[in-house]
Amino acid sequence: MTLLSLHKPHASDIPAYVAVDQEVEVFQMAWRSHLPVLLKGPTGCGKTRFVEHMAARLKRPLFTVSCHDDLSAADLVGRHLIGADGTYWVDGPLTQAVRQGGICYLDEIVEARKDTTVVLHSLSDDRRILPIDRLGLVLEAPPEFMLVVSYNPGYQHLMKALKPSTRQRFVSLAFDFPDAALEQQIVVGETGIASALAKQLVTLARALRQTADHDLEEAPGTRLLVDVARLIVQGCNPQLACRVGMIECVTDDPEMVRALMQVVQAILGD
Amino acid sequence: MEEHVGLWWHQLLTRMAGQKGHGGSVALDPMRGELGLLFRALGGAHGLKVDATAGTRHGARRSVIERMAGVRAKVELAGVDAQALRLPGLADAYATVELNQALYRWQTALCAVVPEHGSWVTRNQQGTMHLLENYRGLAASYWQLVQAELQRRPDPATLPPAEAQAERSIRQALRHPDSAVTLIPGARAPEPVLLWLAPDARGAMGVARSQAMEPDEATRAGSSKQQDEKRRVAEDADMPERPGGLMMFRPESIFSWSEYAKVQHDVQENEEEDLARAADDLDTLSVSADQRPVARALRMNLDHAAREETGPTSAEPAILLPEWDYKRQVLLPAHCSVRISSMPDAPARALPERLRQEQRRLHHQLAMLAPERQVRRRQSHGDEIDLDALIRARTDSGSDQQDCYQQVRRNQRDLSCLLLADLSLSTDAAISEKLRVIDVIRDSLSLFAESLSDTRDRFALYGFSSRQRHAVNMVELKHFDEPFNARIRGRIEQIKPAFYTRMGAAVRQSSALLAKEKSRERLLLILTDGKPNDNDYYEGRYGIEDTRYALSEARKQGLRPFCVTVDQTAEDYLPHIFGKHSFTIVKRPAELPRRLALLYAQLTR
Repeated sequence: MTLLSLHKPHASDIPAYVAVDQEVEVFQMAWRSHLPVLLKGPTGCGKTRFVEHMAARLKRPLFTVSCHDDLSAADLVGRHLIGADGTYWVDGPLTQAVRQGGICYLDEIVEARKDTTVVLHSLSDDRRILPIDRLGLVLEAPPEFMLVVSYNPGYQHLMKALKPSTRQRFVSLAFDFPDAALEQQIVVGETGIASALAKQLVTLARALRQTADHDLEEAPGTRLLVDVARLIVQGCNPQLACRVGMIECVTDDPEMVRALMQVVQAILGD
Repeated sequence: MEEHVGLWWHQLLTRMAGQKGHGGSVALDPMRGELGLLFRALGGAHGLKVDATAGTRHGARRSVIERMAGVRAKVELAGVDAQALRLPGLADAYATVELNQALYRWQTALCAVVPEHGSWVTRNQQGTMHLLENYRGLAASYWQLVQAELQRRPDPATLPPAEAQAERSIRQALRHPDSAVTLIPGARAPEPVLLWLAPDARGAMGVARSQAMEPDEATRAGSSKQQDEKRRVAEDADMPERPGGLMMFRPESIFSWSEYAKVQHDVQENEEEDLARAADDLDTLSVSADQRPVARALRMNLDHAAREETGPTSAEPAILLPEWDYKRQVLLPAHCSVRISSMPDAPARALPERLRQEQRRLHHQLAMLAPERQVRRRQSHGDEIDLDALIRARTDSGSDQQDCYQQVRRNQRDLSCLLLADLSLSTDAAISEKLRVIDVIRDSLSLFAESLSDTRDRFALYGFSSRQRHAVNMVELKHFDEPFNARIRGRIEQIKPAFYTRMGAAVRQSSALLAKEKSRERLLLILTDGKPNDNDYYEGRYGIEDTRYALSEARKQGLRPFCVTVDQTAEDYLPHIFGKHSFTIVKRPAELPRRLALLYAQLTR
């Protein structure tokens, strides 16, 4: 099933986001110029949060689709369903976003099948149209509509990389983990954890990121760090919080868990 | 009788000198993985092995008993060099397991952060301060370790003035790593400091040369008996030109050797255990190159300066390719010559009988992979309505109303695959009594080729071996435009192992061939049994870094490299060369043929 979250913005609840560079300005300019945007960077470095923040800021409804292997074009565009009186049509998130002039965010686009992403082509160039063959309809995207996709270049699944021709249709914003001081600030800001402890957690996360690609499949992102801090704020023992909130999340190998817990021990102490 | 008394005397002295295990000792082996991870986590270089260090003479004061027993003359200290993180093979200096484990972790952490320049004491102090300030857990164990280390060290009051002064300075530096301490060199070296790295930056005390030399391929191929992972300090010596000499060699005489005598000798291969033990007793092993594989039985890792290349071996015009020199961080242009040879005379062959059954099984499994349009009807959900099913459901009351959708899947695949097989001499090694690695590689090539022709993807097959940089040979078994047929089966049957593994050059040439393909996906599958290696300077980290560089260039061209290896101990360097997701280790080589084809199915899903 497609994961779809519809975020209705109110002026008061703009999700917090700390800008690192000029990504907020670039995103706004791209939106005004009717250009699609590609966000690239490792898992958990704040791409999704950034899109949520921008959608709220621009006061546009946000349609988030987490892409996966089985996602079909119909999952994006819509399909006929069978009702008591016959069949009826249901819009997919992409069609809804086009109709409502919202922002459609396709998270981890490389996970989607290639024949699925074909439907994005006519939307991501200057035609900005969405043909719906099954309805015999061509929807023209309103100026407010925006297509945003994210992609994790480090996550090298052998056959899964973005085609250069697809990549060149997008304005690209590169994300990375924030520097230590900023990350510490984010963790404290999100959870209210003590600053000294946040510093140690950031040191730990950065240590684990050094081993990514060699020992770990994927480095722990800021999101995991925030989760760990939340557990600690709830009274969880820091070592335990790191194990369940970070270490067990990045590996399933018991041997590796033991070794990583030694790193946790070295950094946090008892 | 004398022997018995001697043995008894030795045991008594050894016991008095406190050399017996006290139950608190910790071996390096079970901790290797954990320490390697800690090293990388704290910023240590990737692609280094965790290895046991060579013991070095420390020259510090020993008690009369220790001297009589002949123990404690050497010390194993931690250090890091271009090839490896080197740690003692056994940590037993402290009384408890916890302290000795903590010592390993501390040494590892220090190796990861210690600055490159500065005096011995200052570097260690700065590294220590860095760890104390940033890592709370390490800081806690440091103070326990300092206590244990101070207890172990000689009391300055019992030492002559100059040594006492040095000892006090060391104690001061351990207790207060932030204080300025200078060590005035005395006549006698101070007691080694286990919490610090070895005085020489390269990892071994007083020995400047410590580049690793891997045993050459011929040696590796023959050595299945013994794997001696301990490192030994080695020096180069010339092989005497004249055969024979005055000294008759018997392996036990090595007990009495401490200097190399320039005499050519034959090693009796059945006494490898004695040799290994004797080698431990030598300060430095002298090694020289000759043409015979006498060292088969005794496989050792030597701290040895890399041999220089010996010039071209082929004058034929060939394809010139660059090579990456990681030490200088430069790409050496036109450095390697690659020649592509074909096998025009190979007789046409049918698929060998032994592979028939396997091939039939794979055929069925891979038939599903052939590019085609698949419609799955009567699904509970799907892209479109399955009208037939719906009408039947409406007209036939017994039928299920739910499954009225259909899924359409277009398996359009546009793929070219180049399979590059390692044909170096190491593949001549036996796996079992009847099977060699090369047999497995040959069968893999056969089954893989059969499978690929089933799936109708474009593919090419190449093998490679090398003899230094001027002679990298690639055997063309099938190029992309050639149809797969009996002649190609015949060529595969004829492949033979030869020479070494200059993988970087072979990867570059394969990439160039694959890059000409127009397909959307271009897969470079490398099939090997070991690490890059050639019999010049191309070994150890040099070969690893060059191959890694060649692969990253391939990725930049839009190619997808993937490695399949049958090397059981390769985990250390493979992620560094290929990246975490781009290799797989086949633990049982006999399974390789089948695994390869199934792997292909997964990769191209």
